[in-house]
This record gives sequence, C-alpha cells and structure tokens, in this order.
Amino acid sequence: MSAPAPLQLTLVNDLAEISRAAAAFETWAEALELPMADLMALQLALEETITNIIHHGHRDQPPGTRSFTVEFSAPAPGRIRLTLTDDAPAYDPLARAEVDVSAPLEDRPIGGLGVHLVKKLMTHAAYERRGPHNILTLERILGTPAAS
Amino acid sequence: MEITETKQPTATVLALAGRLDGLASPALEQRIDATLASGAKVLVLDLSALAYVSSAGLRVFLSAAKKFKTAGGRATFVALPASVREVFELSGFLTVLDVRADLASAL
Repeated sequence: MSAPAPLQLTLVNDLAEISRAAAAFETWAEALELPMADLMALQLALEETITNIIHHGHRDQPPGTRSFTVEFSAPAPGRIRLTLTDDAPAYDPLARAEVDVSAPLEDRPIGGLGVHLVKKLMTHAAYERRGPHNILTLERILGTPAAS
Repeated sequence: MEITETKQPTATVLALAGRLDGLASPALEQRIDATLASGAKVLVLDLSALAYVSSAGLRVFLSAAKKFKTAGGRATFVALPASVREVFELSGFLTVLDVRADLASAL
C-alpha cells in the first residue's frame, strides 16, 4: 500500500461538517485499505475533535462564521496523523477530567465520553498553543488494540 | 442512518443501519422518545448493521437505557459489530447497559 500525500481541509463551525470531513477522510485513506476498526477509530477522533472545536472553541459564534483546518497525513508506514488547527481562545480538550467508566447506570453522566474515547483510541494525542492557534495532533498506529 | 422499526409481541425493535454520528443522533433520540411515549416497555436496538457510532450516539443509548428503566421497562442492545463493541467496552457500556449476543436472546 502506498501512503497518500497529506491532505488539508478547511472546515467551518457547523456540525454538518462532520459528514464532509468523514467522507473526505474515507476517500483520502482509500489506498491504505484500512481495517474497519482503524477507520472507525480515526473517524471517531475526527468527529469528536471537530465537535469540540465547534462547541467549545467557537461557542456563541453563529454557524458557518469561523473556519479551522484539519490535515490528514501518513508520517510513517502504518501510522496515520490528524492535525487540527483553530484560532479560538486557548483550549486543551485533552485536559478534561477522566470519565469513570465503571460507574453504574444511574450515576453515569450523559456526556464527557468523546475525549475519553479519543485518548483511548489514539496511540498519541498532544495539544499545543502556538501563537494564536490551538494545535491538536492525534496519531494512531494501525492495528493497535485500544489502550485500557 | 436508517432506522427500521419492527413490533414484536414482547418488544419494539429498532434496527440501525449506517452511521450514528452527531448529525444522525437527534433523529434517533426522537424516535426512541416516541417509542417510549407510545407505551412500549421493552426497546431492543439491533446494531448488526451499525457501521459507526460516536459519543453523540452513545449518549442517546445511555439516555434510552435510563428512560426505559425509569419507566419500569428496559432497553437492550443486540448484535454489536466488533468495532462498535470496542467503543462500548472503552466506554464501560458492556457492564452498564443490557448487551446481548442476538435478537432472539433479547425478546
């Protein structure tokens, strides 16, 4: 399998962008013939982080008025990287409190799972504030079981 | 995402096919609320054709389980594909939700 060249997408703060990003990723990754589990893990990371930027970074902004970018790349064989860059106020989504996944049904809050899943499904996740930008870098080594 | 409803003598079955993302989940939540409002006590969600679920979909699943339990019934999840099962496991949903191997064991 040959690694595709990096692809950068510009998205706006509208949840409808989730499907566009997912479809673009699927097309970009086609040549890699990703197993279902890897494809789903990466699309999930993409959706959760895009949703976070829209809900937290650009909270109170009318839909479609702010833009941010996501880049898909394959920096090494068997390794996929997603890089999200936005110019919202500084916000580190990875700093969210851990979710207690062993709590019983009654005590489970509705929410907070997105970042938890991203951390579990990605091999590497890092946040950086660089100048006016939030930069989130996520990597998954293909075929790795989720961290427990 | 496509939702196909089947009425069984003991349960209402909603079969989900396709992608359950942040865009599709409000429609599923409405459908589940309507099922509950119609007086159904047992909801079975057949996930055999579910290709993808994100935290937005998981929230709807968790909320369905809570609502049916509060109403004195149950919500049961059956036939999870491997990738969906992994997301359930990482979320602690395999223990907190009623998950069964197949439709027959949920009716």
